[in-house]
Amino acid sequence: MSASLFHSFVFPGLLYVLLWTVGLYWFFRKFMAALHKRVGPSFNGKGGSYQTLFDLSKLLTKESITPDGVNPYLFSMMPLLAVIIAMLPSAFVPWMDGFVVVDSHYGLLALVVLIGIEPFLLFLTGFGSNNKYSFLGGIRILTQAISMETSFFLAALSPAVLFGSMNLTYIVEASSWMSFAVLLPGFALYFIALLGLLEQPPFNIPDAEQEIVYGFYTEYSGTNYFMLQLAMFAEFMAVFSGATTLFLGAYKGIFFDSYFFFFMKMLGIAVMMMTLRAATPRITLAQMLKFSWKYMVPLTLLNIAWVFLAKSLWFMGA
Amino acid sequence: MESIKKLLEKFSCEYVEDYKKTWIKAKLNSKEDLLSLGEVLKTEGLRSLSTISPTDFLDADVMEVNYFFEDLDTKRNLWLKVDLPRDEESCEIESLTPLFPSAEWHEREAFSMFGVNFLHHPDLREIIKSEDFTGVYPFRKDFDWDAHEKNQVQNVQQIVDAFKKEQEENEVDLDPDSSETILNWGPTHPASGPIRLRVHCDGEEVISVDPDIGYVWRALEHLVTKKDFVGAIVAVERLCFMDNINSMTAYALAVEEIAGVEITPFAKWMRVLLGEVARVSSHFMGLGMFFNNMGLHTLAMWNMDTREFFLDFLESYSGARIATAAVEPGGVRYGLDMVMFDELQKALDKFDSSIGEVEAVFVKNPTMKMRAHNVGRLSGDEVHQFGLSGIVARASGVQTDIRIDEPYDAYSELDLEYITQERGSAQDRFMMLFAELKQSIEIIKKAKAHIEEKVASEEMNPTKDHMVKVPKKLPKGEAISRVEWARGEVLMHLVTEEKAKSPYRLKMRAPSFNHTMMLNYLLKGRTLSDIPLIFGSLYICQGDLDR
Repeated sequence: MSASLFHSFVFPGLLYVLLWTVGLYWFFRKFMAALHKRVGPSFNGKGGSYQTLFDLSKLLTKESITPDGVNPYLFSMMPLLAVIIAMLPSAFVPWMDGFVVVDSHYGLLALVVLIGIEPFLLFLTGFGSNNKYSFLGGIRILTQAISMETSFFLAALSPAVLFGSMNLTYIVEASSWMSFAVLLPGFALYFIALLGLLEQPPFNIPDAEQEIVYGFYTEYSGTNYFMLQLAMFAEFMAVFSGATTLFLGAYKGIFFDSYFFFFMKMLGIAVMMMTLRAATPRITLAQMLKFSWKYMVPLTLLNIAWVFLAKSLWFMGA
Repeated sequence: MESIKKLLEKFSCEYVEDYKKTWIKAKLNSKEDLLSLGEVLKTEGLRSLSTISPTDFLDADVMEVNYFFEDLDTKRNLWLKVDLPRDEESCEIESLTPLFPSAEWHEREAFSMFGVNFLHHPDLREIIKSEDFTGVYPFRKDFDWDAHEKNQVQNVQQIVDAFKKEQEENEVDLDPDSSETILNWGPTHPASGPIRLRVHCDGEEVISVDPDIGYVWRALEHLVTKKDFVGAIVAVERLCFMDNINSMTAYALAVEEIAGVEITPFAKWMRVLLGEVARVSSHFMGLGMFFNNMGLHTLAMWNMDTREFFLDFLESYSGARIATAAVEPGGVRYGLDMVMFDELQKALDKFDSSIGEVEAVFVKNPTMKMRAHNVGRLSGDEVHQFGLSGIVARASGVQTDIRIDEPYDAYSELDLEYITQERGSAQDRFMMLFAELKQSIEIIKKAKAHIEEKVASEEMNPTKDHMVKVPKKLPKGEAISRVEWARGEVLMHLVTEEKAKSPYRLKMRAPSFNHTMMLNYLLKGRTLSDIPLIFGSLYICQGDLDR
C-alpha cells in the first residue's frame, strides 16, 4: 500500500513529473536563450532557477476562464485527463536496475498506446473550446497524429522484433553495443517521429502561433493551461524515456549502472530536440503529410526488415 | 520624355513642363480626358500609378487631384493634375482602377479622406479611417477636428457599434452547411501586428482575403499641417519606426526644394550614412520577421543582437535609438563628434563577425527554401501593374531603385548597382533583404571613409557644416520628392501657401499600402500556413500602411 502510494505520488509519479517539468522548463529556457544569444531567466534564484517554479505557481493560482458556450466539463476535464494519461507510461519504464512499477510482458505495448492516446485528448480540448482557431488546431493534431504515429509505432516495434519480447525490462537487459548499432536507424526514425508526435519544430503545425494562434491552447488560461503544460512535459518524459529504454539501454552506464545515465540520456534527446527547434522553421501540413506517408512510413517498414535480417544474421544463436 | 510630351499635346492641357530630370508636370483642363489619357499612357509604358493625392484648396474652391504615373523601366514619370469642383456632390472623376490596378486602394483612400468620388470603381469602400469618420472627410480643410474630438464618447460608441454590427453580419452570407468560415487574422494575432485580415476560408484553404487596415491611423498627413516645418519631422519620422531616417530625408528634400536651399556636402553624406544605418536596422527586423512567421525566432534574436550596435550609434549621434529626429530641412540636426564613429565601427565589426553564421544557418536553410521557394510569386509584369517597389519589385527582376534612378543627397557619388532576383517568390524577397543588407553595410563603410577623409583634409567641418539655414516662412509652392525607403519608394508631395509657417498639404506615399493590396491576389487558393509567410515576405509595416 505504502509502496504504491510512493510510486504514484513520489517516484515515478506526481512529484517526479512536477520536478521534471520545472527543471526541464528552466533548462529549455536557459538552453534556448544561449542558442538565441540571450540571457534567459536570471533574476530569481541562481541562474533564474526559481523562475519556472514561480511561473507555474502563478498559473496555478490564476483565474481559469471558461469561455461562453463551451461544454465546461469537456473543457476542464480534458487537461486533467491529459496529465494523467501522460504520466501513466512512466509506470512501465525500468528507471533503475530492478526498479519498475508494473513489470508487464506487454510493457512496450502499454507505452506506445498510452503515448498514442494523448493527441486525441488534445484534439478534444480544441474541439471543446468553441473557437475557430482551436478547432483548426484540433483537426491539425488529428491529422498529424494519424500520420506520424504510424511511423512512431513501427519504429518503436523494432527492438521488440530484435529481442523477441515486449517486456521493457527484458529489452533493457538484453541490449548491448551490438544491438544499439543494429537499432540505430530505428532510433533515428523514432526521433523524427517523436518530433511529429510532440508537435516540435519542424512539425509544430497544430499549435502554430503565427498561423492559428496556438491552436488548441488558445482558450486556455490559469490552472487549465498549467495542466496542459504539465501534460506536455509529462509527455516529453514518456517519449524520451521510451526512446532511452528501447534504443539506448536505459540505466546502463559506462562503468556502473545508475539512474544518472538514464537521466543524462533523456537530457541528450531533449538537447537534440531543442537544437533542431532553434534552427528549423515550421513546414506546412501538406508537406508534413507528404513527408510522413511518402518517406517515414516506408522507411520504418524497411527498418523492420533490416532488423529481421540483422536478427537472423547475428542474434539467432544467442 | 519627348514622346510623353507629344502624347500630352493631343489633350488640352493648361501647361506641360519639365520637372526635375525624370518628371513631366502637366495639368489637364478637363477631367473627361483622364481615362483616354490613361489608356495612352499605359501603351506608352507608364504602367504604374504610384499614388493619387488630392489637395483641397478651400479659398479657390477647387479640389486638385494629383496623379503620379511611373515607368519603372525607363524611369520616365508624369505628374498629372486635374481640377475638380470642391462640393461633395460634384467632386467626382472616372476611376483609373480598371486601367491601373495599383490605383484601387489609393482611390479608396482619396475617397475616404477627401470625399473624391471615383466613378466605376469596383469596390469604393472607405479605408483606413475609423468608423466615427464614416460619411465625413477628415482631410478636407473645412473639417472641424475640434468639434469631432469633443464627442469622444459618441465616437467610441460608433466604433463599438460598427464592430458589433460586423460581428453579427460577418458570416451571414456563408452557406451554413458548408465548412466555410471567416477567420479574423489580427489585429491581436501573434503574427499580424495591428492589421486585420478577414480571411474567408474553407478549412485550411483560403478563398479570399480582405485586409482591414487603419488600426494605427494617426492622420500624420493632417498632423504635419499643425506643426511648423521643423516640428513636422516628428510626425514624418513616425511613418515607421524601423526606418525613420529616410522618411525624414524625403520630407526635408521637399522643403529644401521649395525653400531653394542647397545643403552642404557633409550633410548629404551624413544623410546617406544615417539613412543606410536605418535601412540596416530595418532589414535586420525584416529578416527576423520572415523567419518568425515560420515559427523560428532564432534569427530575429540574433539580428536584434547585432542591430543593437547600430542603434548604439544612432543613440550616440542623436540621443535616441528609435525616433531619432536626426534629419531636418537644411541638413542633419546635429554636428558630428568624430568619436561617435567608434560606435559605428564597433557595429560594423560586429556585423562582419556575425553575418557568416546567419548566412550558413538561415539564408541557406533547406526547410526555409522548401517552404518559400514557390510561394507568393510575383512576375515583373505584376510589379508594374500594381506599382510595387523596393525589395518586392527587385525580387521579381524589375530594376528600380530610387537611389540610382533619381539620386538624391550623396547617392550620385556612389556607384550603386541594382540588386535583383529573378523568380519573385517569397524566398527571393528574403534573399533580396539579405543582399541589400550587405549592400547597405558597404555604403556605410564608404560614406564613413569619405567623411573621415574629408574631415581629415579639413574640407568638411563636422561640427559646423551640418546645417544651413532654412527660412521659417516658405514661399508658395509645391514639390515632390522620392527616396528609396527600406520598404520601397516613398513619395512625398508637399504644398505650401504664401508665407507659410507649416505645410498646407503633405501626401506621403508609402510602399506597404501597395504591398498589402497584393495579399488577396497572392493568397487566393493557398492554405492558412502561407498567410504569415507571404505577409512576412512582403515586408509590410503597419505604420506606413495607415500613416
